[in-house]
Amino acid sequence: MAQLPYIEPEHADPVTKEVYDKAEARFQMVLNIFKITGNAPEIAEKMWEIFFEILREGQITWYQKELLILKATKMGDCLYCVTQHEVVSARLGVTKEKQEDIVGVEYQTSPHYSEDEIAILDLCAHVVLNPEAIPHEVWASVRKHYDDGQIVEIVATIGAYLQVSKFGDALGVELEPVWHGHEPVLFNVEPPASKAAQRHLDHFLSHSPQN
Amino acid sequence: MPATKILTKEQVEGNVKDVFNRAENHFGRIPNLVKVLATNPSMCTSITDFLIQSLGPGRVDWGFKELIILKTLRVMGSFYSYGAHERLAMELGVSEDKIGDLANSIWKSSPHYNEAEKVVFELVEQIGIDANDVSNELWDRLRNHWDNGQLLEINAVITTFIMIGRVADTLGVSDPVLFTKDVV
Repeated sequence: MAQLPYIEPEHADPVTKEVYDKAEARFQMVLNIFKITGNAPEIAEKMWEIFFEILREGQITWYQKELLILKATKMGDCLYCVTQHEVVSARLGVTKEKQEDIVGVEYQTSPHYSEDEIAILDLCAHVVLNPEAIPHEVWASVRKHYDDGQIVEIVATIGAYLQVSKFGDALGVELEPVWHGHEPVLFNVEPPASKAAQRHLDHFLSHSPQN
Repeated sequence: MPATKILTKEQVEGNVKDVFNRAENHFGRIPNLVKVLATNPSMCTSITDFLIQSLGPGRVDWGFKELIILKTLRVMGSFYSYGAHERLAMELGVSEDKIGDLANSIWKSSPHYNEAEKVVFELVEQIGIDANDVSNELWDRLRNHWDNGQLLEINAVITTFIMIGRVADTLGVSDPVLFTKDVV
């Protein structure tokens, strides 16, 4: 249950409306997570710029960023982010088999992952768990494949999705009806560690058309 | 030394130079975090502008926002700029007692915090444990003290400093001072 009202476009102030228009142009709809930030337009205006920049080709590819987003948000048990990015990453060419192997450490030995992808997923796992424990070998592998500007984008993408996933989950932002019927991929491989996240997943699945 | 190179104002141009100027106007200096992000102009620009928006007067008293940031950094085990935020909180009029009482569970019985403040620290701790499991009951108590815009800002501050702490700690950034005293 969302803990703050979603501010619908017809009730949004001009600053928020501009953010909504940009979101709709990019993502074909105004997601609930955008609508909840309409409660503080000055925050919506600046916060979403980070995500508009991430969700496109950059110094690393959007495809690579989707792998990082799936990894980071799965580790955080964010049903909202994982569900949406399973769909977005599939549109960019990430196969179901590849999505499945991102869970745990499967990606490290998966035939679907290249050395440069394994390097940033290893980094991602450490950033989520404890940046202080990033081993030298992980940095060496990342530096072998990526320059400084790319490393900044990799780390910023992970950090931003830690932010938005916890932001949305804490506020109880719900998946929009358009996602009902989506069969989970990552959470089918490994259920959420969080009991609360499992309840959210059960609730989401109860809205699937076959139920 | 950070994991990626630091760019100075003399080494940047265009949008990055503009955001360096905005940072300098806001902080009185250019934080090292901004200089480290500068090898990626789009990330540097968007994250710095959000940081500028987050660190300043808002819907919630700025001094209290600094306490929320300090508690978030503690809960997340983050090292980035803790001392700078302590210093900033004090410059904004927050007492040393309040800053000290943020530690572990001491705030729960601290006479220096009121119920409105304590319920926010409960939220910080719960987000640190499991953001999926913030109860309706906790939200009811938050709503007793704060309006919708303030709650959005509180939630944004907590999660933004989870991001900032993670990014800076990963890249090995140190910012012992964020603001020059004359701009606070």
